[in-house]
Amino acid sequence: MTSPNNATLLQVEGLSKKFSVAGRWPWQKRTLSAVNDISFSIAPGETLSLVGESGCGKSTAGRMLVGLTAPSAGRILFEGQDLSGQTASQQRAMRRRIQLIFQDPYGSLNPRMTVGELIAEPALLHGLADRRSANDRVAELLGLVGLAKRHAGRYPHEFSGGQRQRIGIARALAVEPRLIVCDEPVSALDVSVQAQIVNLLQSLQDRLGLSYLFISHGLSVVRHISHRVAVMYLGNIVEIGPKAAIFDQPSHPYTRALLAAAPVPRPGARQASVALAGDMPSPLDPPSGCRFHPRCPFAIERCRREIPALTPGGDGRLVACHRWQEIPAFQANAPGAQHAPKTTRLLALYRQAAANSNSRMSSN
Amino acid sequence: MTPDVPLIEVRGLRVGFHTSGGTVAAVDDVDFSVRTGETLAIVGESGSGKSVMSLSLLRLVPSAITSGEILFHGEDLLAKPAHAMRDIRGGRIGMIFQEPNTSLNPVQTIGDQIVEAIQLHEAVGKAAARARAVEVLELTGIPSPKARMRSYPHELSGGMRQRAMIAMALACRPELLIADEPTTALDVTVQAQILDLMRELKANSGAAIILITHDLGVVAEMADRVAVMYAGRIVEIAPVTDLFDGPEHPYTIGLLSSMPSIDGDSDTLTPIEGSMPDPLALPAGCRFQPRCPFAIKRCAVEAPPLETVRPGHLSACWRAPLLETLTRGGQQ
Amino acid sequence: MSTDITAPQTANPAGIARPHLLRRLSRDPLALIALIFLVAIVVAALLAPVLAPFDPYDTNLRMRLRPPGGDHLLGTDTQGRDMLTRLLYGARTTLALGFASIVVGSLIGTSIGLAAAFYRRLEGPLMRLVDILLSFPSILFGLALAAMLGVGMDSLVIALGLSAAPPIARVARATAASVMQAEYMDAGRVIGLSDGALIRRYLLRNCAAPIVVYCSLQFGETILLAAALGFLGLGLQPPTAELGSIAAEGRSFIFLAPHVSTAASLLIFMIVLSCNLLGDAFRDLTDPKLQR
Repeated sequence: MTSPNNATLLQVEGLSKKFSVAGRWPWQKRTLSAVNDISFSIAPGETLSLVGESGCGKSTAGRMLVGLTAPSAGRILFEGQDLSGQTASQQRAMRRRIQLIFQDPYGSLNPRMTVGELIAEPALLHGLADRRSANDRVAELLGLVGLAKRHAGRYPHEFSGGQRQRIGIARALAVEPRLIVCDEPVSALDVSVQAQIVNLLQSLQDRLGLSYLFISHGLSVVRHISHRVAVMYLGNIVEIGPKAAIFDQPSHPYTRALLAAAPVPRPGARQASVALAGDMPSPLDPPSGCRFHPRCPFAIERCRREIPALTPGGDGRLVACHRWQEIPAFQANAPGAQHAPKTTRLLALYRQAAANSNSRMSSN
Repeated sequence: MTPDVPLIEVRGLRVGFHTSGGTVAAVDDVDFSVRTGETLAIVGESGSGKSVMSLSLLRLVPSAITSGEILFHGEDLLAKPAHAMRDIRGGRIGMIFQEPNTSLNPVQTIGDQIVEAIQLHEAVGKAAARARAVEVLELTGIPSPKARMRSYPHELSGGMRQRAMIAMALACRPELLIADEPTTALDVTVQAQILDLMRELKANSGAAIILITHDLGVVAEMADRVAVMYAGRIVEIAPVTDLFDGPEHPYTIGLLSSMPSIDGDSDTLTPIEGSMPDPLALPAGCRFQPRCPFAIKRCAVEAPPLETVRPGHLSACWRAPLLETLTRGGQQ
Repeated sequence: MSTDITAPQTANPAGIARPHLLRRLSRDPLALIALIFLVAIVVAALLAPVLAPFDPYDTNLRMRLRPPGGDHLLGTDTQGRDMLTRLLYGARTTLALGFASIVVGSLIGTSIGLAAAFYRRLEGPLMRLVDILLSFPSILFGLALAAMLGVGMDSLVIALGLSAAPPIARVARATAASVMQAEYMDAGRVIGLSDGALIRRYLLRNCAAPIVVYCSLQFGETILLAAALGFLGLGLQPPTAELGSIAAEGRSFIFLAPHVSTAASLLIFMIVLSCNLLGDAFRDLTDPKLQR
């Protein structure tokens, strides 16, 4: 994996989104604060993950980056330039550099266009190909995502979910982006297909130097693919930092709860007792103080009153918690959370055999 | 009843559909049994036939051609008249679906739905049924159950709706609970709550559970035994620790290798190459063979039967026991 | 990777227009009869100058109101013109009028519907306008427009088109609104498509089928309205052969020579009924929810 350098590709500062929602009566308007003053940056070649449960605002954040939703406040700086303070045509040229991969491989491709048309369309639109070179470009992109040239003439409904996701990726790549926002790209796919897509995303990053904002609720995939992780709860980032720091020593009580709740494919590995009580409150009516306090096992009076700010917490992380230093240390990796020796050997044999049969196939 | 007699036993179950391209067997010759108090997890990806199979246990698949035997307490459910099945559904066999939003009636209160379910199956008065409904809601950990009785499904959160769904399934004290992806639509922290709840309820009620899921993590947490399905067939069935400590079917190993490793070491994932076969054009021999890195010539010719590898551990693979064959044979 | 290729998708969630529409239509005998009848009428109307045994404007007062039979297969009308000829030319006019009107109406209606769905700001004003138009009975609306615009083919087409547009706009908006929910609309936006391209290539292409089906249902309605205006004397002026006015002309002699009014009315009835039957069948065929 390419090691990300320190230059910044994308800088997000104080980004917020408030939606106006109809109340009980037509004249009543309520504000739903979906994203609340979040800041982060992404370096070239880096993957930052936004993790959180449904309704935490992670998708809204991604939609603001690609221009599908207008921010209520805050700035998005891409390659040092503010995206909001530009003319429409400048913006269009900049926006091209930030693409989006969707969650739903069935709904995100126009069913009336062939795969070739779908992939050529963005390239033609931005003048990256002309009518004559478009076919070659389509073939090249299809090859890049592991599909064949002959697929260009077919319609999306003729493909499986995993293949459609590949088409979506090829389409995003057609405009030569530098950053791709991946909105739950594998959540709708089967496990074995998930791995194919995750591998594809990683190899594309290596080859093309792409940056990813990887939006997901699946912790194991996030752990596998990211360099840095931001955990969101009710519109706020509660903890952000390098992957190792977040997964090995989570500081925020919510991050801990998320990690503890994730089922592990090893019987008896998860401690059942750490499950978090209650549901996420409605973002229409967020709790006072720390938004996590009603569900937090460590909450004190102060948490009810004061909103905690993101403060440095060692290992390059930022935590938004009043008490993160006081609460007991977290055992992230229970010793039992590894495969049994026999399974480990079988897995190694499987990988070896799979690699062999793949190379045999490609040499033929 | 002696503990050795299974609560439900499925023999040679086949569920087919007529399509424009010919008849498709979504479930093809499946045998398994579940004992009282046991949780059997059925794992598989989409297209494996796991959902169709679970629905066909209650004869809930319209326009399907079902053959074989489903023995519940020794009586064949497939031979029962329709009205007898209605008594069993929601009575002695409860069902929990993936989407509580779509399986609860949106225009009826939670309380009314549970009361209705109880009165449908038992000759109890309205007051007694209401009392029981409050009791089961309380059992599922819904706060202020009396107030929730008057709530409509849309007024509850996803987790609470799933609890209500479970309450409804438990209201008639079923002996068997079929749960089809009960936590797939839920967030992780809520999923953990629901899984804990299901485990606790099972321990208290002694009901058997058939849990349909695609998530090996959920399987590891919940199951006593596991059946792995691929393309309409069970390819491996084993006690849960046996399965995770020494899987005997390449597909099971492929599923595990597709998941990011649990200790977080990031090398590349090894997915199962290819995709689920077309049910109208199944490969000859073993159905997994075109995607199997361990496949030998025999696999493409003869379909392997589901056979005992170790006591209680069955696998449908010519090369089982895998570790022994693969290491002894060296390079094949 | 080459194995990850040909998994066919049995489901067709996109609802792509399926082939063999005609073959499946043939399983509905009523719709098939309607189709054959309509095709026959259209062909006959198109070939009227060739098929018609007489001149439609050749009056012969001595031959007026002859009953069917003899030289005049369907008798003669109040001016002694051959009824069969009049009916053929009348069908020609009425069908052309209906077709032109439904084209105008669907253009207007679809534009309004798509605009309302695509630009949420416009939805309120546009759809309220449509609601107001819909609250008039269409015959009244057509009457008012025809009276306002004067008599003539052009103004009649505009009047009929405008009265056909509001229900089409409603259907177009409902269809487009559901298409707007699809993620591929967002996908098109992200790659930087202009609104015009999004509407043409994404929105319109995905709503076209249901709108066309609805328009074919409206076709019968429009023909009925055209005939009604003709009957009331607000359609094309005599001596132009038009089914509605032919029926009106025969009205005063309904007891003396019932064949004039009856033949014209029956023809209108058959055409409209066929349109409706066919439209219903098309709707059933293209609605994925009613499949199989």
